[in-house]
Order: sequence, then C-alpha cells, then structure tokens
Amino acid sequence: MTSIRRFLLAGVLAALTLFSFIAPLRGYRSSMAEVETLFDAHLLDASKLVANLDMARITRQSQLGDNLAFQVWEDGKLLAASSQAPSDHMAPLQQGFDFANFDGYRWRTYSWFDESTQRWIMAAERTDQRFALAENVVLETVLPILLGIPVTGLLIWLIVSQGLKPLTQLSSDLQKKPAHDLSELPLRATPKELVPVVNAVNGLIHRLGAALEREKRLSADAAHELRTPITALKIQLHNLAQEVDAGSESFRQLEQGVERMGHLVEQLMSLYRTSPEQFTADCTDIDLHALAQELVARMYPLFEARQQTLELLGKRCMMRGEPFALETLLANLLTNASKYTPLGGRVQVNVEAGDAVVVLKVQDNGAGISAEDKARIFERFYRVDRSSNAGPGCGLGLTIVQHVAALHQATVSVHASEFGSGAAFTVIFPALMET
Amino acid sequence: MTLKLASLLVVLLCTACSREDKEIELSLVIRDHLFFPATLNIPAGRIAKVMVDNQDATPEEFDSKSLNREKVISAHSKTVLFIGPLTPGEYEFAGEFYAKTAQGKVVVK
Amino acid sequence: MFLDAVILVLQEVLEAALLLSVLLVVNQLLDQHFTSSHRVAMRWYGAALLTGTAGAALMAWAMPALSQWFDYVGPEIVNAFMQLLIVVCLYVHCLLLQSTLLQRRRRDLYAGLTLLVVIAFGVAREGSEILLYIDGIMGTPASLMPVLLGTGVATGIGVSAGVLLYYALVALPSLVALRTGMVLLVLFAGNMAAQVILLLTQANWLPYSPVLWDSSGLLTEFSVSGQLLYALVGYEATPSLAQVGGYIAAMLLIISTPLFRRCWRSIRS
Repeated sequence: MTSIRRFLLAGVLAALTLFSFIAPLRGYRSSMAEVETLFDAHLLDASKLVANLDMARITRQSQLGDNLAFQVWEDGKLLAASSQAPSDHMAPLQQGFDFANFDGYRWRTYSWFDESTQRWIMAAERTDQRFALAENVVLETVLPILLGIPVTGLLIWLIVSQGLKPLTQLSSDLQKKPAHDLSELPLRATPKELVPVVNAVNGLIHRLGAALEREKRLSADAAHELRTPITALKIQLHNLAQEVDAGSESFRQLEQGVERMGHLVEQLMSLYRTSPEQFTADCTDIDLHALAQELVARMYPLFEARQQTLELLGKRCMMRGEPFALETLLANLLTNASKYTPLGGRVQVNVEAGDAVVVLKVQDNGAGISAEDKARIFERFYRVDRSSNAGPGCGLGLTIVQHVAALHQATVSVHASEFGSGAAFTVIFPALMET
Repeated sequence: MTLKLASLLVVLLCTACSREDKEIELSLVIRDHLFFPATLNIPAGRIAKVMVDNQDATPEEFDSKSLNREKVISAHSKTVLFIGPLTPGEYEFAGEFYAKTAQGKVVVK
Repeated sequence: MFLDAVILVLQEVLEAALLLSVLLVVNQLLDQHFTSSHRVAMRWYGAALLTGTAGAALMAWAMPALSQWFDYVGPEIVNAFMQLLIVVCLYVHCLLLQSTLLQRRRRDLYAGLTLLVVIAFGVAREGSEILLYIDGIMGTPASLMPVLLGTGVATGIGVSAGVLLYYALVALPSLVALRTGMVLLVLFAGNMAAQVILLLTQANWLPYSPVLWDSSGLLTEFSVSGQLLYALVGYEATPSLAQVGGYIAAMLLIISTPLFRRCWRSIRS
C-alpha cells in the first residue's frame, strides 16, 4: 500500500537531509584549505624567527611552545633544536614545506637555507592541532543540522498531516455517511484541489438520488394509479358473480388474482408512503407493547381462521416512532408468521426492554427458513415458496419491514425460533431515553 | 561476444603473468597512527610484499586509491600487502581510520 | 577527521542503500508483472537487515583471526567469496522473480532466501568496516565527536540518496522504471565482480594487470559525487585491466542469458 503521507515525509526529509549535509562538506573542504595556508604562513614566520635566535643560549631542552619544533643545522651538524625534534634531519635539505613523522606525531615542516649564516633552519608544527581548529568551526555548524533532522522530521510530519487533513476529513465524511443518506457533501473550507472531487461526488450523489426518487415516484404513482382500476375491477367482479356461476374454478382463480393484485398495490403504497423526510415529522413517543396489543386484537380473526394460537408477551416499552409505519411492520411480520405456519400452529409476539433498546420478536413453529433463503428474504419480490402458497403475497412484506426498521434506526434479524421449528424475526429499536 | 572478451582477458592476463619477478619484501610499521617509514621505495616493475605491523591498540585501514589497495589491519597484528608492479612515480597511501596523521607514499624508481 | 569519517562511512552506506532501493523497486515491479501477486514479503528485508547487522558485528569481532588465514590474506579471500556469492544470489533472485516454473510458495521462499543473502552479506561486509572504524576511534576520545558526527552525516546522505532513488524510480512509468532498475542491477553486479577481481589481485591470488586509466584529476573518489558514482556504476579513478574486464564480463554474462532477455522483452507488453 502506498501512502501519500509516508511518501511526502520520506521524500521531503531525504531531499532536505541530502542537501543540508552536502553543503557543510563543501564548506569544510574550503575552510580546511584556508586554514592550511594560514598555518603555513605562520610556520614560515616562525622559521624566520628561529634564525634570529641566539644559538648559544639554546639548549637541547628549549621549547618554542608545545606544537612548534625546530632544528638549526650548520655544516651537517645540529647546532640547536627544540626538545621534540629528532636527532637527525626532521625535514629534507630542500627549501619548502613537507611532512615528517617524529615524536609520535605528524608534523608539517618548513626548511630554508640562511645564506647569511650558512645554516639550514627547520621549523615544524603538529598537523593534528591545525586540523582540530578548523574542524571545530565546521562541526559547530554541522551539529545543529544533524540534531535538527529529527525535529525537522516531526515538523514535516505535522505539516503533511495538516495538509492531508481535508483529504482524511473527506474520506471519513464519505465513510460515515449512512447508506440511505443522499444529502450532498458540504463544500465549506474545502481546499481548491479537492473541490473537483467533492463536486464530482456530489454530482454522483445528486444523480443517484434523482434516479432513486424517480424510481420511487414511478412505483408510488403506478400503485396509486392502479388502485382505481383495481377497485373498479373488484366491483365488476362482484357484479359478475351475480350473473355467472360464482363457484366455478376459473371464477375463483380470477377472484384470487384480483385480490393478489390489490394486495400488491397496497403494499407498494405503504413501502413508498414512508419517506425519510416525512417520517421524522410524524414521529411521536409511543408504547410498542400497547401498539402490538391493539394490532394483535385486530388481526386475531386471521389466526382464528387457521386455528392458530396467537399470544402477546412483554410489558410497556416506550420508544420513538411513527405509529402507522410500526403497525405496518408488525402486521407484515404477523401475516408472514400466520402464512408460513401450518393450521393449528403457534405464533408468539414479544415486546421487551433491553439495554437502551426495545426488542420486538415474532416467532412461530412453522417450517422455518432455509439458510439459502435467509440471505434473500429481504429482497424485493422474493418469495420463499412461489408455487404452493395460495394466499395473497407479493414478496414485498419483509422489504417493508426492513424499510420501516431502517427509518427507526432499528435492525432486523432472522434466526430459528425457540419452539424447536419455525422462524423468529427480531427487530431491535433504540429505546426512548426516559428522563 | 562474451567468449571473445573472455579469451582476450586470458591473453592479457598471461602477458601480465609472464614477466613475474621475484617479489621484494618490505616492512611497514604503524605506531601512534603514523607510518614508519613514511616513504616506501620500490623498484619499477617489481611486486613488493609489504609486511605491515600494526603496533597500535586500534585497528587501521591501509587505503590507497592510486595503488588500488584497501585492507584493514587489526590492532596489535601483522598482515601482508602485495603492491605493484608499478610504473615510476609517487603513490600516496593513508591509514583511513587516522587519515590526518597516518600518511605515507610509495616512491617507484 | 570529520570529512574522512564521512567519506569512509558514505562509501559503505551508499552502496548498501542504493542496492536496497533498486532491489525494492525491481522486486515490486517484476513481481507485479509476472505473477501479479504480492512482492517478496517485507519481513525478508527486515530479517536480512538484522542478519546483516549481526554478521557485521561477527565479522568485525573475527577480523583479527581472519587476517591470519591464507598467509595473511584471509580478509581479501573471505570478502571476495562473500561478494561473489552476493552477485550469484542477486542474479538468481532476479530470475526467480519472473519464474513461472516453480510453485508459488517455493518460489517465494527461494526469492526470499536469495534476497536475504544479498542484503545480509552486503550489510555485513560494509557494516563490519564501519564497526571496526568506530571501535578503533574509541581509543582517541578527541576524535570521537567528529567521527560520530561524520558517521551521522554520511548515514543521512546515504539513506537519503537511497530513498530519493527509490521514489524517483517509482515515479517513472513502470516499464521505464523496471528497465532502469535492471540496468542498475547489472551495473551493480559488474561493480561487485570488479571488486572480487580487485580483492583477489590484492591477495596475489590473481596476477597483476596494468592500470587502464587515471581519471583522479577529473573526479576523485574522495568526494561525495565520486562516492555516488562509485556506488551507482562502480566508478574508480584508476581501474586495472582485470577489474574492467571482470566488470564487463559479468555484465555480458548476465545480459546474454536467455532468461534475462526474456524478462527484458516480456515486460514490453
């Protein structure tokens, strides 16, 4: 994985280090050369001084400072010398500068022939000390740069992080965006490099929203428009029953078809009736248990017709929601439970308060749901068993359940029921914080 | 192509080998980060086998770009360095670890 | 002292840093191209650097004993052997990266092992010299500061050059980057072969061969640019005939192998 931050940090730091380190090296070289000529001039002066000394007073132990050695030769004999000087020639008998090793050090030597006294004068200076001086000057300049590198690195890190902030902000904004939130990204304080990105994303969101809206409106409009002809169809069917043999198989089929079509249209309408904007406006504090009680009572005949038992457990649980949507949700779960449970079966509704949640559970002792179906039951128009089921159904029930749950920031899950066989649907709503 | 070059190399190496003389032995002492003697005299065209004796308590690296030699000599130890054969001239060498003091040169005549 | 330390350490660090960054890039690109799998795992690099550091300490520690071997030419022979192994492993490593004959897991293992040898041996060789140097300087406290500073500066320059080379190569179009990387690796191999020849000549195991040219007046090896050129293409101011011969021979040997040519050509797609 390449990282912009790592690239910027390493690249900038490397370029900075490379050139800030090479620069003092050049300075070092030139200052060394300068010091060299300076010290050479000094050595030459010192050697002239040696020539003017009173040779008679110089003993073998004489010194002209720690780092200056000298010899005076006359006719091949050592006339005078400092204590550090060796007993033989410390420099060649040749006018000019040279190097020599003696007394455990390396020396820069200068020798010249004094015509007036016919003597060879040799002076020498320790090399290590001349370098030490120049070196210190350069090191003083290099040390802060070297020590500054980690600080610079930290600074670059901070600067790069700050520079990348709009980008990390944008990516976290995008990541945090809920799936159904199709609002545009805010363009405030966006750096101009990111404006095209934000604009492009917003354009995309806008087009997506428009497409979804179109789809919704089409379905809702279609459902709405279909309602009138279906009602007319039902009336016509009722009238037709007076005229023809109502008991015939084809008439029964026709009746069922119209019934199913009517159901589909109703479901489609309830799916699109609850749009997020409208939803928040209609929200109130409600007791889910009371709502379930009312609905169970209203739907009891349906269960009675199939000789199924329907029980409601639990107690008062307050939550925030839209009563009509919640009713639709529970009604759909109950219809499903009844439909997929055989005659004489058992359906149980549970409303319980959990840890800051309200749990609604609908379970039956029917055939249950296969693992294969589990993944798909929430899809639109998906039905577990298309062939055998005669009752009205269009595969929209659970889609509506999920839609309503999402509006309430609730989660829907499906698993095996506690009755040994059958399915259990659990919807977990956030509870109302009672103060 | 590779074969041709390799054979050329072999021929050249053989001509180089053919004039191999008896190598002359020299000694070089490292003391106080200094070379003794600081000047090595080698006759032109002869291989010199230099016995290097490092008497210091620190390692030193004999280094010479012009001689194409680079060798670490451990503290208090001896080693052998082969130099040459060389054409007449002066070749500087240094102890890379103490380059300011450990300086010397090979003079070929 | 300071500048000497910089040049000495730079020579060792730069070579390793540049080789490492080219290896990283070539590894990444070749692997992407030939197997579209993940490149040789980064842990191999970590292991190689650790092994190399340990090896450097071991070599520095064993140097006194080593220098007594083979009639006092032990270091040359051991170094030459290591360098030779590095060249061979470098070559095998590059071939492995594009090999489709081996099983995936086996290929990764071999590629990792050859990479380990190349980097660990290289670091051990270069690192032992730096360790010996710093160890030697410990005896003179006055020089410690400039030497440590010089080591720091040289490490900074070397690592920075490696990082910049890496990003420069990565920034190129992948085909150009891969070919540049391959050319650099071939040059490295030539450089290493030349060093092997030099070491064996120094040990008197190979006969003397005359110096071909002297360009020290143009560009001395005692400079940053000289060291950079040395690390990149093995620049030497006074190379011998055998060195140049070994350099060219190693390059030709690598270039002439069918696998190298296949690799070079097949990237074109």
